[in-house]
Amino acid sequence: MAKMNLTEGAIAKITSGGAKAAELKPTLQVTELKQVHTKQPQQSDRFRLVLSDGSHLQQAMLGTQINHLVKDGNLRPCSVVQLIQYTCTTVQGRMIIIILELIVIVEECALIGHLVSAQKSLGPPQSFTNQPVNNSSNPQSFGSCSLSGGAVENPNLTVASLPNPRMNQLHSSSHSSNNDSVRHGATNVPPSHLKAEYGAGLPGAAPMNGSYSDQCAIFRNHRPEISQAPGTYFYSSRSVYQQPSPMYPNTGQVAKNDAPPKLMPISALNPYQGRWTIKARVTAKGELRHYNNPRGDGKVFSFDLLDSDGGEIKVTCFNAVADQFYHQIEGGKVYLISRGNLKPAQKNFNHLRNDLEVFLESTSIVQPCFEDDNVIPRQQFNFRSISEVEGMDNNNVVDIIGMVSSITPAASIMRKNGTETQKRILQLKDMSGRSVEFALWGSFCNAEGQRLQNMCDSGGFPFLAVKSGRVSDFNGKAVGTISTSQLFIDPDFPEARRLKEWFEKEGRNVPSLSISREMSSVGRADVPKTISQIKDERLGTSEKPDWVTVNATVIFIKADNFCYTACPLMSGDRPCNKKVTNNGDGKWSCEKCDQSMDECDYRYILQFQIQDHTSITWVTAFQESGEEIMGISAKDLNSLKYEKQDNESFSKIVRQVLFSKFVFKLKVKEETFSDEQRVKSTVVRAGKVNYSSQSKFLLDMMEKFKSGNSAPVASNTESTYPNSGANSIGIESSGRPCGPLGSNQVGNNGYIARKFGSLPSEVGQHGNQYSTKFPTSSLSLTAVVLLAIPQQIALVS
Amino acid sequence: MDTSSPAIFVNGESLQMYVGKKVRSVVQVIKSDGGDMIGKSTDEHQWTIKGLSSAPLMSYVEVIGVAESNQSICAELWTDFGKTFDAYSYNQLCQLANGEFKALFL
Repeated sequence: MAKMNLTEGAIAKITSGGAKAAELKPTLQVTELKQVHTKQPQQSDRFRLVLSDGSHLQQAMLGTQINHLVKDGNLRPCSVVQLIQYTCTTVQGRMIIIILELIVIVEECALIGHLVSAQKSLGPPQSFTNQPVNNSSNPQSFGSCSLSGGAVENPNLTVASLPNPRMNQLHSSSHSSNNDSVRHGATNVPPSHLKAEYGAGLPGAAPMNGSYSDQCAIFRNHRPEISQAPGTYFYSSRSVYQQPSPMYPNTGQVAKNDAPPKLMPISALNPYQGRWTIKARVTAKGELRHYNNPRGDGKVFSFDLLDSDGGEIKVTCFNAVADQFYHQIEGGKVYLISRGNLKPAQKNFNHLRNDLEVFLESTSIVQPCFEDDNVIPRQQFNFRSISEVEGMDNNNVVDIIGMVSSITPAASIMRKNGTETQKRILQLKDMSGRSVEFALWGSFCNAEGQRLQNMCDSGGFPFLAVKSGRVSDFNGKAVGTISTSQLFIDPDFPEARRLKEWFEKEGRNVPSLSISREMSSVGRADVPKTISQIKDERLGTSEKPDWVTVNATVIFIKADNFCYTACPLMSGDRPCNKKVTNNGDGKWSCEKCDQSMDECDYRYILQFQIQDHTSITWVTAFQESGEEIMGISAKDLNSLKYEKQDNESFSKIVRQVLFSKFVFKLKVKEETFSDEQRVKSTVVRAGKVNYSSQSKFLLDMMEKFKSGNSAPVASNTESTYPNSGANSIGIESSGRPCGPLGSNQVGNNGYIARKFGSLPSEVGQHGNQYSTKFPTSSLSLTAVVLLAIPQQIALVS
Repeated sequence: MDTSSPAIFVNGESLQMYVGKKVRSVVQVIKSDGGDMIGKSTDEHQWTIKGLSSAPLMSYVEVIGVAESNQSICAELWTDFGKTFDAYSYNQLCQLANGEFKALFL
């Protein structure tokens, strides 16, 4: 920056009364700027500043009419200004210049000159605004280019403990040694702050903090010429972590910076620490989340920090504070954080190895640190080997790294709360000779999951590092992602490299023991099956229910008793739904809740038959799926039939549903009724058929079938759709008029259908021929497929 | 319904096999040209559909008519299928219907 010339001796002139605003319009530099909090809220903010003319300092107050200069950021610490209108008054024994008008010449400039406070007659130390000296008083000082030259005059008068003899001499000599003494001459004087200003940004500042001050300080402090007020300079060092305050980077807004940020390692933070500052890198930035709990709504935002010593801590902010900081924080960047609250960590949301968490308030300070020296690592892991995972408790959060030996395609899983999410499972192998199942949930499926799948499909062996995966004891031990997990594919850490070497040498061939049991098809309801498979594979007969997906058509609906009267009362967070009985007096009573009520709910208990090209079966659908299928609520349908006695509309609705095709997700379970075992299927979800994807699926199957055709017939039938049902049924069902189609299309499709209608007879006659030449399954399959395709394509959405 | 003259599923490459016969296909409307229409078959062949003037642009229509040449069809019936259509699957269908599984259709 261009060297600005300040009006020399101006301060002296003004304060001595020798100059007035009319004559002297001095150019001065603002060495400090701080906001004074007024007691009465109605009064506007006042800004107090310290002006320098290159050799002396002077306290000043900014007239409220020019407060905007500060608020707009034009007037900042280290600005060079020219005073146009001002007066000099004495307030509480001190001379203060009241500035009514000024021009900002340069917004930022290096500090000029050696400075000394113009006021020798110091009152109590509190008068110095840069002193965050005693916690007792001061409104927070901005203390930026905390020149503190003069300021340091009475650092801690109150702390009379250690007259450190070295201090004086140190002050006059290099500041770096200052720091040393400050730090080591530590007296533990709890309340005071480090007069960090001194140390600020001095080159060669002591080793421990050197890096900090160097980096964070852009401004170098000129050596203040200390008036040799004997024994008055001392720094009380609080603890070992005292650091010289870095000079605030010039780009700082006029933030409420408390002068001495004592940089300390995260691991040293404790709730009894009064003022602290940490410099750390954001390793994970969370989302700005809205929540709703019994206490109300709110927003929360949190991010994780890592510092150069490897300490990690989580920082959280709520509501307005979250808004304030959400946009400031960027992942991977280094920030200085101070004035947050330290509280014990909530372990269920916080998986870092720290018992504390930081909560930011609106008074907290977050400052970007521009000199990113890469001292602070980007990410820190605490990898455990898979065999260790085996011994871990459920819900533990770990970091693991391994080689991906297999990965499944994304499947849709129904969660307990009824929502659906995507899941992929992959097997991770590592040096311990163990492998574990690792589940990717939600968005990880699509992004990283897809990438990993591509890598595996193309024959590669990707390595995956996981930060914050949760251990679960589902099927042995497994690990899954949580919202705060981070995945790194083929990372470049030392552990990854070691793993790679191991893999190249031996791992490739060594079979590993899985600590996760093989997943049965529980939860993997996406593989479409045929109805005949339900019988053939004896689904539902094991102790757990089986979940299957079938594409089938509704053939027959049992129209009586399609719903029941249900208890609408809430039991816990779900309605009771138990059947209520009619008291006879117009009220309904529920056994479970032991209450009676006037109005009851009507819930579907729809029994109907569904059929696909292989077989037919009865299923039951309850409320949600019932509504999906019927397209009308149980209550309305019930009133239509019984109250209004409108049989015509009722039949019309039922007829419309008949022969419509759905994708049913069924829960198949064997149940005991009196003495017999019966396999019952319940419709968990009924969805519309996506013809396009189904066509593709069928085409794929045909391909697979064709390529497997050269093999003996028997084996073919074992592929996905073994056929045991009669052909005729399969084809007959296709001869239906297609309800949902438009009128034109009905004609066409009906035509095709009828064309096919002739086929069963052909098959029948030539049945023998066909069965020897072609596996009957293939014929019926392809017949249905080829029939299905045009219809499906026509209905493609 | 009249089943006496079945219409054969065709796409670009199979149209030539059925010149003079009744065919059906799905085309995407590219341009309207007086009384005719230029359409794109599901395998990117460009056809002239005669007798079809008012089809909405860029939507898929199914056309049933007599094949005049290997690039044009004289339409008798047409149906609008809308803007979304799985041309790939339809193309596969045509290939299968004219190849391996011809017996099922004719």
